[in-house]
Amino acid sequence: MPIGPWDTSRETPRNGPWGQHEPAQGGGPSPDAAPADPAAPDPATDVMRPPPVRLTRTDFLAAIAANKRNTEILCAVLILIGVVAGGGIGWALPILTGADPAMAIRTGLGAAGFMLVFSLAWTLIATSFGDKMVLGLTGAREVPRAEAPVLHNVVEEMSIAAGLPMPRVAIVETDALNAFATGTRPDHAAIAVTRGLLNRLTRDELQGVVAHEMGHVANNDVLYMTAVGVMVGLIVVVNDLALRSVRFVDTRSGSNRNKNGGLIVVAILVLVAIGLLAPLAARAVQMAVSRQREYLADATSVKLTRNPIGLIGALRKLDRADVRWDNASKAVQHLFIVNPFKKFGESASALMATHPSVEQRIERLQALGA
Amino acid sequence: MGTAGWIVVAAIVVIVLFVVMLYNGLVAGRNQVEAAWRQIDVQLKRRRDLVPNLVEAVKGYMGHEQDTLQAVIKARSAAVSAESGPREGQIQAEAALSGALGRLFALSESYPDLKANQNVMQLQEELTSTENKIAFSRQHYNDSVMAQNTRVESFPAVLVAGSMGFAKHPYFEATEQDREVPQVKLR
Repeated sequence: MPIGPWDTSRETPRNGPWGQHEPAQGGGPSPDAAPADPAAPDPATDVMRPPPVRLTRTDFLAAIAANKRNTEILCAVLILIGVVAGGGIGWALPILTGADPAMAIRTGLGAAGFMLVFSLAWTLIATSFGDKMVLGLTGAREVPRAEAPVLHNVVEEMSIAAGLPMPRVAIVETDALNAFATGTRPDHAAIAVTRGLLNRLTRDELQGVVAHEMGHVANNDVLYMTAVGVMVGLIVVVNDLALRSVRFVDTRSGSNRNKNGGLIVVAILVLVAIGLLAPLAARAVQMAVSRQREYLADATSVKLTRNPIGLIGALRKLDRADVRWDNASKAVQHLFIVNPFKKFGESASALMATHPSVEQRIERLQALGA
Repeated sequence: MGTAGWIVVAAIVVIVLFVVMLYNGLVAGRNQVEAAWRQIDVQLKRRRDLVPNLVEAVKGYMGHEQDTLQAVIKARSAAVSAESGPREGQIQAEAALSGALGRLFALSESYPDLKANQNVMQLQEELTSTENKIAFSRQHYNDSVMAQNTRVESFPAVLVAGSMGFAKHPYFEATEQDREVPQVKLR
C-alpha cells in the first residue's frame, strides 16, 4: 500500500522506527519513496491523498470534547422528550375520562415525575447486567490466549496504548465481518470480533478495528448507549399505550364530551401528537447519539494507533463484504463497528441510521491523518 | 461578623478548595506518568527475556550473520546492565537494542527457511507484538507526560507547582540511531 503521503512518522518524529507497524514490515517507507507518488497517480493513491483540511493534535482533542458535549445535549433532550410525553399523557387521559382539569394537571406532573424516576431506575438495572446480556445475545465466546494469540496481542497492545486494563477477548463464529465492545465500565470490558473478520483482515487492519472498539470502551460508550436505548424503549412503550387508550376512550366516552368539550379536543390532539412524534423524535436522537459515538471511536482509534490506514482499509473491506449476519440481535446493533443489518451504501445522514456511512467515516479519517 | 467578613471567609474557602483540587489533579497526573513508565519497563523486560530465545532459534539458519547476532546479544546485555541506571542511559540502551533487532528482522527476510520454522514464527510474532507494546506504552507515556507538563505549566498552577514539588517530565524520544532505517544488503 502506498503510504508515502501518509507517513506520519515524518511529522511526529517520536513515532520513529519504533512505530507499531514498521518492525513487522522490516523498516517503514524510506523518505525517498514519498516524492515518487505524485509522479505515478493511480486511482488508489488519489483516494488516499489527504484532503486540504489539516487537523493538528489540538484539533483532535477539541473534536473529542465537542463530541462529548453533543452526546450530553442529546441525552438531555431524550430525557426531556420522555418527561414531556409522560406529562402530556398524564394530563390528557384524565381529561378524556371526564376528570376535573385541575386534577388532570396534578396527574400530568405525577406522570412526568414517574417517567423521570422510572427511566433512571431502569437504566441502572440495564447497565448493571448489560455486558453479560450483550455477549449472550450475540453468541460471542470468550477465547483463551493460546487459541488466538494474535488477537490477544492486538487487544493487549491497544489497551496499553489507551492506558486501560486488558479487556476480555471473545470471538463470534460467523463469516460476517464485524466487531463490538461491551461492558459498562472500562475495567469490566470485553471486545469481540467475528471469525470472518479474523480471517480476512491484515494485522494492521485488525489493529484499527480493535482500537475503534477500545475507543468505545475508553469513552464509556456502552454505558451511554445502553442507557439511551433503554430510555428510548420506555418512551416507545408508553406512547404505544397512550395511542391505544385514545382509540379506547374515543369510542366509549361520548357522554363525557358535554362537560368540557373544548379541552377534550385539545387532549386528543395532544395524545395523538405525542403518540406519533415522541417515539420518532426519541429514535432520531438515539441514532444521532450513536453516529456521534462512531465518529468519536474512529477518532480515538487513530489516536491510539497513530495510523488511519489500518482502519480505513478495514472499513473498506467491511463495506464490501456481502455476508449478512442474520443472528445478530437488533437490540445491540448500535454496538457494532458497522451496522450488521443495513446495506451500507444507503444514505447515512438519514435520521434513523445507527452508523454514519462508511464513505463519510473514511472522509473524516483521512482528515485526521493529514 | 459583618457582610465583608463573610465575603472574606467565602473567598478563602473557595481559594483553599481550588488549591486542593489543583494539587490532587497534579498528583493524579504524576501518578499516571509513573504508571505509564512502569508499563514501558514491563514490556522492555519482556523483550530482554525473549531475545536470547530468538537468537538461539535463528542461530542455526543465520550462521553467516555472526556480526548482526553478536550486535543483538551485545545490545541486550548493555540494556540489561543499564536497567538499574539513570532513565536517560536506559532509553539509549533500549533504543540501540531496537535498532539491532530491526536489522536482524530485516536480514531474516532473506532466509526463507526461517519462515517454515513454527517456533521461530511464534517467537517473531511475540517479539513483533512486544515491539508494538513498547511503542504503544511509550506513546501512552508521552501522552501522559504532555498532559502533566501542560498541567504544570498552565496558569495558575505554574505559580505553585514548583514549590509543591511538581516538575516537568522528560519525553521518551527516539535517538538519531533509532530513526535510521536498517540497510539491507541482498546477495
